Amino acid sequence: MDELTRAMAAALRRSAALMPAGRREWIEAVLAEAAETPAGWQRLSWLGGGLRLTLPQAARARGLWYALAFATAATGIAWSAWSGPPGDSAIEVNRIDVIVITVILAGLPWVIRRACGPVASARLPRLMRTAGYVAVLALVLAKSAVERVADAPPNNRGGSAVAWAGEAAFLAVMVGYAAVILACTARRSPALPAATAIGTVTGIALGVMVYLLGPLGFPLRFTDPWPAHLYDAALALGAVVALCAPVAAGLAAARQAARTRPAGSRAGQGAIAGLCSGTAAALVVAVLSTATIAILPYDTGLQHWATGHVGQWTPAIGEVTPVLRSRVGYVAGNSAFAAGYLIVLLISPLAGCAFGAWGGYGRPGSRGLRMTKAWPWIRRSPIGARPASQDQ
Amino acid sequence: MTARSEFSKQTLSVLAALCAQPTAWQHGYAIARDTGLKSGTLYPILIRLADRGLMEARWEDEQPAGRPRRHLYRLTADGLASATAALAEVTPEVKAQARAGLTPRRRLSTQG
Repeated sequence: MDELTRAMAAALRRSAALMPAGRREWIEAVLAEAAETPAGWQRLSWLGGGLRLTLPQAARARGLWYALAFATAATGIAWSAWSGPPGDSAIEVNRIDVIVITVILAGLPWVIRRACGPVASARLPRLMRTAGYVAVLALVLAKSAVERVADAPPNNRGGSAVAWAGEAAFLAVMVGYAAVILACTARRSPALPAATAIGTVTGIALGVMVYLLGPLGFPLRFTDPWPAHLYDAALALGAVVALCAPVAAGLAAARQAARTRPAGSRAGQGAIAGLCSGTAAALVVAVLSTATIAILPYDTGLQHWATGHVGQWTPAIGEVTPVLRSRVGYVAGNSAFAAGYLIVLLISPLAGCAFGAWGGYGRPGSRGLRMTKAWPWIRRSPIGARPASQDQ
Repeated sequence: MTARSEFSKQTLSVLAALCAQPTAWQHGYAIARDTGLKSGTLYPILIRLADRGLMEARWEDEQPAGRPRRHLYRLTADGLASATAALAEVTPEVKAQARAGLTPRRRLSTQG
């Protein structure tokens, strides 16, 4: 009983930290009065009442819920990635993956906090930070499921050295993603909330569009001419949209920045919007495609569809061999798939940033560089930009 | 028909305990003993009363030997006026229960 009472008192003393500064003395008061109560169940009950006092405060402490949710998600992913024979290199890669990602996602907020402050108090940045973390964890979960097959013999034609090199590159890229998510949603972030929101929404829409055009990461194959023509047109349109969307996001962000920020920051806000759009698009398409490939061995309908629509396409890296049943996609997954998504994850934010900066830089009316400088053949006029040739 | 007090029965019992010795500083365990309330019920009431300026709280000035310093409570002038008015409003039965320091469960059973 004494040990239990001491443990309860220690728990109450520690839980005082959850209370606002002005309320902590009430916990100290409960602890002080505990000495007056008769030892045994009465004292235990008294201390338990004090703990009850801290529970509503703990429930209101959002940080605690975030930490609990993160710990639960990380535990679930670790449990999923841990299963398998100990000598399997794919399992070893997955275990390292989960451990390092968990450490990165748990530790990076402290680093970013020193530079950019804690998370902004508004609801949107918190939502974006949570969604970003969920996406990274979902990608790790889906990737570990894919690599359990892709890195296992006989699919691991590249050997374990290739798998470890790919893993190191993936982890480095994920550090960058987590840093972008945390920095853009921090209180002292140079990003305007509007620029971050515009870029993220654009990126999510772009990611979903790219996924729908090629759910397994490859262009689809149609045997009938009309669907093939329609699909080719959709691909061409998708390419144009993918190029224009970050520019449009940069333009919109610069327009927002023009209201509140000095002229010099508009291109910067455009770049941030483009960076967010590229980051969100790559993350969405990587998560959705990797998850689709992960469920491929367990879904006969999806296997049937993949066999009919994927294959007979030779990418720059590796060769896609149409293999029936559960290994379709995974043969590519070990080489072209993994490298392809790493390239997408790496290039997309950088390209988005560049296109977004261009969009923000060339915003009509901006003092930095006007539309006329970005596109010399366009002249600004009171009713908007139109080709200079029309004036001649 | 009885007028409805702005305070709950548990709060009224705390106010009654504090009203019994309005100038004296009382500590939490003594109030808990008088009212029969558990710490998990008593302290939220004390916090609310302090927040509303009806009660003042302070720590014992000197460190007594053999026990920690106590947190002490006393009604403010406003608190005393509010408590007196609230206790006058409620029925004699409730007032008696509050003053008798019955626990809510026991009070319910006597009402039933």
